[in-house]
Amino acid sequence: MELRQTDILVIGSGAAGLSSAVYAAQSNQHVLVLDKGVIGRSGSSTGAVQIAALGEWSNEDHKDSYLKDIDESGRGLSESSLMEALAEDISDRLKDLTEWGLKLDRNKDKQIAVSHTSGHSLPRSVSAKKGKTGLGILHTLRKKANASDHIETWNDVITIDLIKNGNRVVGAFVLDLKDHQPYLIQCKSVILATGGAGQLYPTTSNPVQSTSDGFSLGLSAGANLVDMEQVQFYPVSMVAPNSIAGFCISFYHYSKLYNSNGSRFMENYEPKQLEDTTRDKLAIAIATEVADGRGTENGGVWLDAADEIDQVKKEFPHEYKLCHERGIDFANNRAEIGPAAHFMMGGVQINEHGATEIPGLYVAGETAGGLHGGNRLGNNALSDCIVFGARAGISSAKEADELSSMPEVNDSMLLTAQQQIEQILTPINGEIRPYQLKEQIQTIMGQHVGVIRTNQGLKIAKEQLDEVETQMRDMTILNTEPYSREILDSIEARHMLRTAKAIVGSAIIRKESRGAHHNTDHPSLASSTYHTVANSHNGELSFSIASVQGGESK
Amino acid sequence: MKLHVQIQRSSGKTDHFEVSYGPEMTVLNILEEIYRHHDATIAYRYSCRTGLCTTCLMMINGKPELSCQKIVETDDEGILTLAPLPKGETIKDLVKEM
Repeated sequence: MELRQTDILVIGSGAAGLSSAVYAAQSNQHVLVLDKGVIGRSGSSTGAVQIAALGEWSNEDHKDSYLKDIDESGRGLSESSLMEALAEDISDRLKDLTEWGLKLDRNKDKQIAVSHTSGHSLPRSVSAKKGKTGLGILHTLRKKANASDHIETWNDVITIDLIKNGNRVVGAFVLDLKDHQPYLIQCKSVILATGGAGQLYPTTSNPVQSTSDGFSLGLSAGANLVDMEQVQFYPVSMVAPNSIAGFCISFYHYSKLYNSNGSRFMENYEPKQLEDTTRDKLAIAIATEVADGRGTENGGVWLDAADEIDQVKKEFPHEYKLCHERGIDFANNRAEIGPAAHFMMGGVQINEHGATEIPGLYVAGETAGGLHGGNRLGNNALSDCIVFGARAGISSAKEADELSSMPEVNDSMLLTAQQQIEQILTPINGEIRPYQLKEQIQTIMGQHVGVIRTNQGLKIAKEQLDEVETQMRDMTILNTEPYSREILDSIEARHMLRTAKAIVGSAIIRKESRGAHHNTDHPSLASSTYHTVANSHNGELSFSIASVQGGESK
Repeated sequence: MKLHVQIQRSSGKTDHFEVSYGPEMTVLNILEEIYRHHDATIAYRYSCRTGLCTTCLMMINGKPELSCQKIVETDDEGILTLAPLPKGETIKDLVKEM
């Protein structure tokens, strides 16, 4: 076991992780950024199409209207302090990025192109790189990070656990997948920015790396996870062909949706907004049509965008082109679409500085909870990442600066980590391969913890996840040579199981339907708003409810 | 339907696999099939599956292509040939240092 030191350790390198690193490094402290894939290329930021923001284009728009939209969309679960931080900082953070080289897309009049997105009361979505906005932001942040003498990056390193001394997080225990060398990284603060949990479900828009590692690491360090039942299903994702299953179609507000009877069913659910409604409502409507037997053969509904095809081609060229290459030309064809796991609104509880209740532990981006409440507005994911990435980076650097010395790591921590790694890297010939365990978790979550939930389904999911935990002791790992996908899968499966249990437990104690959590046995809203809270103590999960320091919405 | 896949491994040898496939499968789908059902030691990178992150770039039938985007095609002899990109350090099999 090798020991390494850094002032600030950032785990994850999407828009949130890289923002954290860039802003933390402004303090001249040493920042180490890890990614289990490739730095800046392995998170869901990559696929983000637009970013909601205030800026020079905001003639009628202002902070209060943005705040009001986030609050309404959050269904009463968004924390005021987080919403205010987002609306307050977004303009300055995007300005920083443009000063560092990000070029926002412009319309034919050379003005910054601003478009409307469902759920926002005013047009405030801007883009870069012709709708490859996430990529554009990542390129800018990577360039900035590479130019800093204080930032070191490290590819292909997975975090197995966080290390604590007393109540303080003092580092992380990681494995370099390239040579299977384990390291204990000692640091003054850790920023978790590992993205979301889409891979807990069979169909997802998320990259393969979104295996919920950060939620699991947060739990293991003793942090609270809030509202983990609030999983956003992107309502309009490709169902077929299989090679692009889960791919998001952003232009649903330019489209008409039909069930298998040929009926434009949104007329029944949202007579005024129709398809141009929020993601939670649209996903529940589509899932209800399918559940009631009015879906397509592959379990979706039909999307028709032919009437607005010119606008689609202009605003969403990547989506149009990719589907066209797979045989779906929206000018002439209807596409089979359905909900896919897309975004975790819940997450590790943070304050407006990105700090958790655990000293030394900060969280940013999708891994943090409490901002988006019960429904994240479209294009607010990148906004969240750049604002709270910066805040977590700045606050963690300040805390690190105030520490007189590096917090201690003792021999017993090294010994525990050593034993754990030996167990992980020892070949075993059991009954089930790690990828099969991951598939089992996905099947359970897809069947019972998807868009539409029931008390009985949640109970079954809990029992079945316990069975997966038993099976996990009987894994087959034959390949323990460096860069073993089986080793990676086995570590990810452990993170996935812990997070899946947190989602199911949180869903069980929310005795109402709110936001993305739709339980047909509790179909209405409760009279009061509350967060569900998951916590882990000595490996045992416990669940409770807590009050919301929220805005006006119910 | 069976597909003959030939992969240049980092051990220096070339491995051959007979993989079940359907007409709409991408090269990445084929690699997933090989990892699951033929050889658990095969190493390859990918992330977004939508042609954006470019981490799945490799030589496919002699040309650099994204494995997540490339629908399976064989050469004149009916073989799909995969190899790592020629430039830069290879970590293992099809995985490059990035």
